[in-house]
Amino acid sequence: MEKRPEMKERVFKVISQVMNVPIDQISEDSSPDNIAQWDSLKHMNLILALEEEFGVEFTDEQIVEMTNVRLILSVLLSGARRRMKLS
Amino acid sequence: MKLSYSQIQGIVNKTDFSNYPKLHLLVLRNIMLEPIEPYYKYFAYQMGFDAHVRFGEYDNIYQEVVGRQPGLFHQDITCVIVFMKLETMSPDLSTNFTKLSTSDIHNELERIKGYIDAVLNSIREQSDAIILWHGFEMPVYPELGVLDGQSEHSHAATVGELNRLLQQSLRRYKNAYFVDMNLCMARLGAGSFYDRRYWHIGRAPYSREALCEIASEDFKYLRALKGKNRKCLVVDCDNTLWGGIIGEDGLEGIKMGKTYPGSQYYEFQQEIVNLYHRGVIITLCSKNNEEDVLEVFRKHPDMVLKEEHIAAAQINWEDKASNLRRLADDLNIGLSSMVLLDDSEFEINLVREMLPEVAIIHLPAGRAFEYRNILASCGLFDTLTITDEDKRRATSYRAESSRKKLQTQATDMVRYYRSLEMVVEIRLADDFSIPRIAQLTQKTNQFNLTTRRYSDADIKTMAENNNVDVFYIALKDRFGDSGIVGVCILRYAGDEALVDIFLLSCRVLGRGVEDVFLIQALKLARKKGCRAVLGEYLPTIKNAQVENFYAQRGFVEIATSGAGSGKRFRYEISGGIQPEPNFFQNIISDI
Repeated sequence: MEKRPEMKERVFKVISQVMNVPIDQISEDSSPDNIAQWDSLKHMNLILALEEEFGVEFTDEQIVEMTNVRLILSVLLSGARRRMKLS
Repeated sequence: MKLSYSQIQGIVNKTDFSNYPKLHLLVLRNIMLEPIEPYYKYFAYQMGFDAHVRFGEYDNIYQEVVGRQPGLFHQDITCVIVFMKLETMSPDLSTNFTKLSTSDIHNELERIKGYIDAVLNSIREQSDAIILWHGFEMPVYPELGVLDGQSEHSHAATVGELNRLLQQSLRRYKNAYFVDMNLCMARLGAGSFYDRRYWHIGRAPYSREALCEIASEDFKYLRALKGKNRKCLVVDCDNTLWGGIIGEDGLEGIKMGKTYPGSQYYEFQQEIVNLYHRGVIITLCSKNNEEDVLEVFRKHPDMVLKEEHIAAAQINWEDKASNLRRLADDLNIGLSSMVLLDDSEFEINLVREMLPEVAIIHLPAGRAFEYRNILASCGLFDTLTITDEDKRRATSYRAESSRKKLQTQATDMVRYYRSLEMVVEIRLADDFSIPRIAQLTQKTNQFNLTTRRYSDADIKTMAENNNVDVFYIALKDRFGDSGIVGVCILRYAGDEALVDIFLLSCRVLGRGVEDVFLIQALKLARKKGCRAVLGEYLPTIKNAQVENFYAQRGFVEIATSGAGSGKRFRYEISGGIQPEPNFFQNIISDI
């Protein structure tokens, strides 16, 4: 499994691109409470981008729970389901 | 290169759109669809536009449009995009179908038709913008199961009828178009098209892949309506129109025909001919001997694409950027009308760098079975009308086409060569390289001055001979490692060196590799104490392109001794040796 620091870096990069926020303003404590652009619609974009980046598919419950960076990392580290490769 | 969802958002965020014309899109919908916005913005960016996407309120189409919500249709709106999903529009038809009577179905169809007409009419009263209305999706699992296909008022047929009614209504308005969601779904497969999680969490039905496909489909319409569709297809020949290299494999050796493996190219050519009949100008651009390519068009029995389809051609050994400029000039069209189809990453990157206006479709090596679909899916040539004029266009371009001279842009080329980060290695033959060296002498036909064929054993014997040097050149660049791409054999006699073999694989021509290799050969001869280097050109039906190779590089032609149609050249080393081209990142040499 991937190490936490590398994964963290990739998660930060995706959040920065999706939310259009400089990467240095993102930390493990980032959440919709302190990033203005992170609303429920952008959350959907973020989930889609993370699933593609890590090649995983979150469950509906995980999607609803992953409401800050710390929780996103813990779901990814606990081993989200690998997406079935179709092609 | 395929970009990820977050990468495209990164690109759009970083782009300075201040000089881009704006494209205002208004999305009216009865589902959640916001994650499609990055795709709309990205495809607009590729087309040279700055898209502003505004979403109407969720499931408020009728209220907003027919209720004339102020400010909804401001005058700058380019396009109104409608998503009216059946699940929200009519839960009865979508999920309660089995309990409906024939008259229930009829009434529901009438209701939806009335709704569509009221919305359409009201949009047109308020705006002349383009309307793109997404059709209804077929039920993937009809509620009657396999019985559905047997019954007159089936679930699938009812959805089909709805689409027919919608299309009928749209045809009554100018600039209003039907977008077939069933095509988008079929391309991805329903399993990949829907994302059931977000449907339940937030009424967002489509997967990320589906959103990309839908946005891409919508932009085929927008490209056509904004005049940004392309008019001219520029096709490479070797490993594109047919499998293999005509100059190496010959007319009988290339893959082209009705059975595997030629059928892949046969099918692909059919698609090109389809484009011809839609009014697209078809041209050829190939590094080849013109006669070789013409021979295929005239003599190969299975060619679908014929000479009469070709409006203009540039078949020579010059770089593709210059040739594309020449084609544009010949046909009097802009580079931004052209699409290049090519299998070579080298050519593609050259054109991308030097002529960014040209659209490029890369045909990946080893995937010829996909070529037809790659071309058919691009949508770059799509139009919303086909006129007789379109059908005639290709012919008229052919008649007008004439050849004009255009100078090559030397400084641009050097900058481009630098960007390739080419590293060459010149090494004397060893046990590892001998098989490849022998193979190159046996296979290379075009860039081969003498076309002498040698076996592994021949090469080994020469390599061990003190009066002979066998050496090769290997090339790496930023796209990858090409390995050994050239061979030279020098035979020493007195104070002269005779070039017995000088050959290069044609994949690497036109980027200075041949120059650096020849200069290295001259330097080796000087090191061995030679005063002069003798070169020969022995003509074959394939190697006309190197007839003047020595003459163009400071060799002087001398009289040939004896019979034969060959030419001999002499280079005086005392006159100096010019330095290697300065655009290589590194030249590593045993010499």
